[in-house]
Amino acid sequence: MRIARFYQKTLFGVFAMIGLIVAFTSALYVYTVDRQLTGDFLKNSRAIARSIADSNVDLIVHRNYSALQSIIDQFVEISSISYVFVVDEKGVIIAHTFVPGVPDEILADYKDGKDVYDRTLAGLGNFSEVTAGILAGKAGHVHVGMDNDYIALQVQTAIGKEVYLLSIILIVSVLASYGLMYLVCRGRSITSGVTPGIRCPASSTPRLRIPLRSSVCSSVPTRWASSAG
Amino acid sequence: MEEEAQTWLRSRRMLTLALLLAAALLGDSTLAKDKTAGTDADRQDASQSEIRLGMSADFSASARALSIELYRGAMAYLLPLNNAGGVNGRRVVIKAYDDQYEPDLAIRNTLKLMDEDDVFALFSYVGTPTMNRALPLLQMHHDRHFLLLFPFTGADTNRISPYDQLSFNLRASYDQEMKGLVDHFVAVNRTRIAVFYQADAYGRAGWGGLREALDEHGLEIAGEATYRRGSPFDQSYDRQVAIMQRLQPDAVVCVGTYPACAGFIRDMRDRDVDCPVATISFVGGGAMLKLLSAAEQESNKDYTSRLVSSQVVPSYNDDSLPAVRDYREAMDRYRDAIMPPDSLLHPHGKAAEREYAPLPYGFISLEGYLNAKLFTAILQRMGADPRRADLVATVLAMGDFDLGMGQPLSFGGDTARRQASDQVYYTVVRDGRFVPFRDGEWEAWAKR
Repeated sequence: MRIARFYQKTLFGVFAMIGLIVAFTSALYVYTVDRQLTGDFLKNSRAIARSIADSNVDLIVHRNYSALQSIIDQFVEISSISYVFVVDEKGVIIAHTFVPGVPDEILADYKDGKDVYDRTLAGLGNFSEVTAGILAGKAGHVHVGMDNDYIALQVQTAIGKEVYLLSIILIVSVLASYGLMYLVCRGRSITSGVTPGIRCPASSTPRLRIPLRSSVCSSVPTRWASSAG
Repeated sequence: MEEEAQTWLRSRRMLTLALLLAAALLGDSTLAKDKTAGTDADRQDASQSEIRLGMSADFSASARALSIELYRGAMAYLLPLNNAGGVNGRRVVIKAYDDQYEPDLAIRNTLKLMDEDDVFALFSYVGTPTMNRALPLLQMHHDRHFLLLFPFTGADTNRISPYDQLSFNLRASYDQEMKGLVDHFVAVNRTRIAVFYQADAYGRAGWGGLREALDEHGLEIAGEATYRRGSPFDQSYDRQVAIMQRLQPDAVVCVGTYPACAGFIRDMRDRDVDCPVATISFVGGGAMLKLLSAAEQESNKDYTSRLVSSQVVPSYNDDSLPAVRDYREAMDRYRDAIMPPDSLLHPHGKAAEREYAPLPYGFISLEGYLNAKLFTAILQRMGADPRRADLVATVLAMGDFDLGMGQPLSFGGDTARRQASDQVYYTVVRDGRFVPFRDGEWEAWAKR
């Protein structure tokens, strides 16, 4: 037995509608979460850079490198922060968190006091680096590097969860629709092959016939199947 | 009769007044006593039979040889002292906790030592990153007068404001070690000096000392390579060596711990980077030499030539010094009795491969011995009722003194010195052991 074309179209319409909802919701969600999370990470990094620059002026000015290093070491324990380095007024990196050394890409370009550096470091990945001036930049700068790949991963994880949820809704909806169709089929089987309540628009009396596909209705109880016309 | 009765009444009133006055005075003195008890929070109970020193150090992780040897050296002095009755009838004991060279654990240990163990002072902490995090705690509890005595680090943090008032040092600083090394290298025309250092506060302290020492000669650090704290000897240091190969320095100064420095030197020599290498006192020359000697035997290569180590105590082989003679005798006699307890060495249970084989003698155990000797000298000056609050004044009043090290030591004076020694010694390896490297011998390393 087959599901009538009308129902096939209805089912397809339902699937398409839910699919579109899922697609548009996901796209909107990706856009929003990406912007929001990236913005948050940037804000946090800026706050960290600002905090190091403002609260450790004495250490920097008095060249207490050891205490300064202790402080920046604590910040790289934050997941999104990949590296921190501090540059003094002469442009010398006086504390950093790199192993086995400061990457060449950074050594080549860190002195012009830009607000944000977008870097690709060989073997390490892509980074957004924010800076904060120490004593308005007179005593140097603090640079804080965020791992863009980590941020992307966080965004993907958040989106993945959302898409996962929507996919479940889609599947449940499809199954529910199909189940409802099945119930309709079953009703038709019980009432001698005529689906109650649906009239064919071409005639005033005949009812729409829905031939049941055996594979679909294979689980119909025997007594119902035997009474089917 | 009436007059008699009035006299009796008067005398009764007088008696009552006197009693009230006495009661008031008694009450006041009780109050005064309470107040005294409040200010004596910094004094260990006079009835206690011991003076406790609190130590937080790495007894079970990457820098354990340093802490174990420092502890052994201190105990080699304290054990016979306590056997002979201690100081003014009180034993001097070390309450030690393992911090695995991790700052967070050092904070917890410090709190425990101050709040639960009520130690008299913090003593011989090992390492800069751990000390850097413990000092703010002392600052917070400054009203309880805790001091950090003779930490095993030459970093500036406890030598400059704001924490210099919370500590006393016996040893010279990293800056002084670096200055000596740089002066000697520059004198033999080795001006391109690179640095290999631990990526933390300790490494940075050494880096800073090197920068300033070079700055005095109008030079800059030629380049640098870093490693992570806790890196083992077996690890490859090829990435760091590759940096040195590219830099082609005239000399490399290592500011690390013995496993990493030994591994780095091995890999450098394996890749034919043969410039002189210098290590500073915290590296732990004895433990490093042990690793390098074993590697030499395995590979049949020379890893210990052109290696100079700066030290902050005299050679443990110099029998001419009374303190060294006493130290060697104590180390021989108490060899096993001075080991830290197993609970410190094996926090996760005993394992054969983790057994520590103590060194018979070494620079670090000698430093521990001298630290304990110096503390005892201070304690003896404090009399029968030592108080934490009097510690600073007592030490600053010491002036010049002699520990049998063959060098002048002093605290206090016009500059209120808080570091007793400024002396740096240089040693090289010959016949498998460290021997003094005299000034004239540097010439052999001159760059032609």
